Amino acid sequence: MTTRAAPTEIAIDAPDAERMGFFTDTTVCIGCKACEVACKQWNDLPADGARFGKGSSYDHTGGLNASTWRHVRFVEIAEPTPQAREDAAQRLGAGGGGGRIPAIPAAGGAGGAAGGAGVAADFDLVAVAAGRADADVDVAAAGRADAGVDVAAAARAHAGVDVAAAVAAMDDWVFMSDVCKHCTNAGCLDACPTGALIRTEFETVVLQADVCNGCGYCVPACPFGVVARDHEDGRAAKCTLCYDRLQDGLEPACAKACPTDSIQFGPYDELVALAARRVGELHARGVGDAYLYGAGDAPDDELAGGLGAFFLLTEPPECYGLPAQADSPIQEHVVPATAAAYGAALLAAAGAAAAFLLAARRPAGRGPRALARRRAIAGWQR
Amino acid sequence: MTQRDRTPALGTHGEPGPWQRARPGARVALQRERWADAAWSFLYKDDTRYAPGPADMQAVAQANLRMRGGELGEVHGPVLNAHVWTWEIPLYFWFGGVATGSSFVSVACDLAGDQRSAAIARKVALAAVAPSPALLIADLGRPGRFLNMLRIFKPRSPMNLGAWSLVGFSALATAAVGADLLGRPRAARAVGGANVVVGGYLGSYTGVLLATTAVPLWARSRLFLGPIFVCTAAATGAAATRLTLVAAGLPQAHPTRVGLGHIEAGAMAGELILSRLNERRLGRAGFNLEHGTPGRLFAGAKWGVRIGLQLLRRPLGPRAHHVASCLYLGAGLAFRYAWVGAGQLSARDDEAVARMARGTVVTPDDALLDRPRRRFQSRARAPRRMGAAGARYAELVRRASLLAERLLGRGGAVTGRSGTGAPPSQPARP
Repeated sequence: MTTRAAPTEIAIDAPDAERMGFFTDTTVCIGCKACEVACKQWNDLPADGARFGKGSSYDHTGGLNASTWRHVRFVEIAEPTPQAREDAAQRLGAGGGGGRIPAIPAAGGAGGAAGGAGVAADFDLVAVAAGRADADVDVAAAGRADAGVDVAAAARAHAGVDVAAAVAAMDDWVFMSDVCKHCTNAGCLDACPTGALIRTEFETVVLQADVCNGCGYCVPACPFGVVARDHEDGRAAKCTLCYDRLQDGLEPACAKACPTDSIQFGPYDELVALAARRVGELHARGVGDAYLYGAGDAPDDELAGGLGAFFLLTEPPECYGLPAQADSPIQEHVVPATAAAYGAALLAAAGAAAAFLLAARRPAGRGPRALARRRAIAGWQR
Repeated sequence: MTQRDRTPALGTHGEPGPWQRARPGARVALQRERWADAAWSFLYKDDTRYAPGPADMQAVAQANLRMRGGELGEVHGPVLNAHVWTWEIPLYFWFGGVATGSSFVSVACDLAGDQRSAAIARKVALAAVAPSPALLIADLGRPGRFLNMLRIFKPRSPMNLGAWSLVGFSALATAAVGADLLGRPRAARAVGGANVVVGGYLGSYTGVLLATTAVPLWARSRLFLGPIFVCTAAATGAAATRLTLVAAGLPQAHPTRVGLGHIEAGAMAGELILSRLNERRLGRAGFNLEHGTPGRLFAGAKWGVRIGLQLLRRPLGPRAHHVASCLYLGAGLAFRYAWVGAGQLSARDDEAVARMARGTVVTPDDALLDRPRRRFQSRARAPRRMGAAGARYAELVRRASLLAERLLGRGGAVTGRSGTGAPPSQPARP
């Protein structure tokens, strides 16, 4: 199920190179933005200024652009939906742990025999939430979770404490370190009229800064909103998957800097296998919403032919500003669009000729209009 | 816009990095072979519960489909980057359209036997295409590097083919006018006829260029955008030629004037009909063609066309027809600005983008094609390496572009970032 870029596209001749990629696991991302800083440092990218907008997001570094090639997106799902509240209430009622926070139950505790889905990391948060609502709840019990104390049951025992509401009222935040996807069917690469965008021997997509003339066509051609044109520099720029480091056998700067290994770098096939195992593990722990964005799809459902940098997500893709389906717009549309357009152009030329032939071949009668017409033709032709 | 501090951490701006290897091919200190230092992580090892089980690819594929299908929930934008093209691009589209339309008219005149009008139409085509390269270059982020467009021939990129067609059209138009001036009407007719083949692409590729993007409004209009742009081109070209011929003294009763009137009216009526059909299909994706500044421009252009068509239906004399021709020219320009401007807003319309990705924004147009789901896949092309001559040519153009940029002065100020300035294709450049 691995995907390969077209061999004809690979511009650098290196027979033993293999496809390298990123696997970004959002379930372990802590939103520290170390990857952003590392990326800027290594690639010598200018600062964009960091600012908190009044009443807007806590994400103070904007988004991906020509001078930000890694960006940690804060997905701030501040207000739980009615469905989320109901789910939280149901899960609490069923004796399971937690509401929507935390989304990822930790693996079975140190004792190993933690019964079923009851999980240590959940209990303290539930207890805190409950404790917020009613100080009588023994928050300290949370610390003894691995000893088998069922805090949720304890909370339920206190009549009048709406634990579900307290849990659901907590904000749900997700972090996702976004980056160029290095698509198999890369829209920017297909669009580039100068050949500045190339596919390297690692099957990544790299923009050659000395060739780019800043035409800006790659910007709307990217279905993920990654590549952008710098207004001061005049050229487009995007993540290179640290091509210079890769050539020396070093991992990309962001992956090197990531403290929780949310960003993992390696041979593409190995990463896909690891990511699939991770999804299975999360499913087993009750996070049924975990899925891969850009890898592990059936051949007909692939995103842009498979993404060289793919993600493990737990919310629908739109929450992260990602399209649910994407492909290289050029590969999708250029054949039908060109056929329709060029066909219409030839039709228009034929129509123009037909209009003239019709106008020229009007039978010349004897009326005053026909006379004027003949006179006009004779006068014009000289 | 604040001036950004662009001082590089090391070295001089625009120059290759200041570091050098002590020995050629030497390894980085402490580096382990084949990215082994990337696998330091505790997550990769087997003694954690990170991902212990076996992989079930089928379950993964099902989970992917489940989360990426179904109803659209909340959208946290931005999803797309909007295009950065400024006022030059729609104006270039308009000029290119006028040139194409005039070249069509010149061939039609030749076929109808009116050689004097054909020669004038060829001059109009050349005059209209003349400002196009300047506009195109002015919009580039690095105008000095325009030549890089001609560094390669890349049929799958509409902009590359468009640049080549612009060059070809300009050359042929110049040759045709030159042949006219030298008194070689047969050569002029032959070259002008050949120019329809190139002009057909020049006038229509602009629609393809917009349609082959991820912008919902443009991408969902993919089958209509090219024909709509061709209609604008034919109408504005005929209008410009008509006004020029009238100024040159073409009598009112001459069949060429009648024929030009037919072309103008027919093309503009076709544009109105195609736009209406397209709008009905677009649904949510067409929002930005109806609202905001582009929406007002679009509506104004349509009214201009309607007034022009009405002026022709009444016996108001030649002046009313001149007004109608001017209205068509203005409406064509407004259509261009409306389409390009609306695309920018559409790219920022996160909900439309998300809906398009979910396949729920418009009715699919695959049914309109005889072979649905046909794609231009790069993997379908036969492997072919560039020959030595081609590589030399590409390198020559690249160097010429860099030289032009340096001479123009832009390159001195901001040539590149020291971190990314070294081209990956020539890592060993001195």
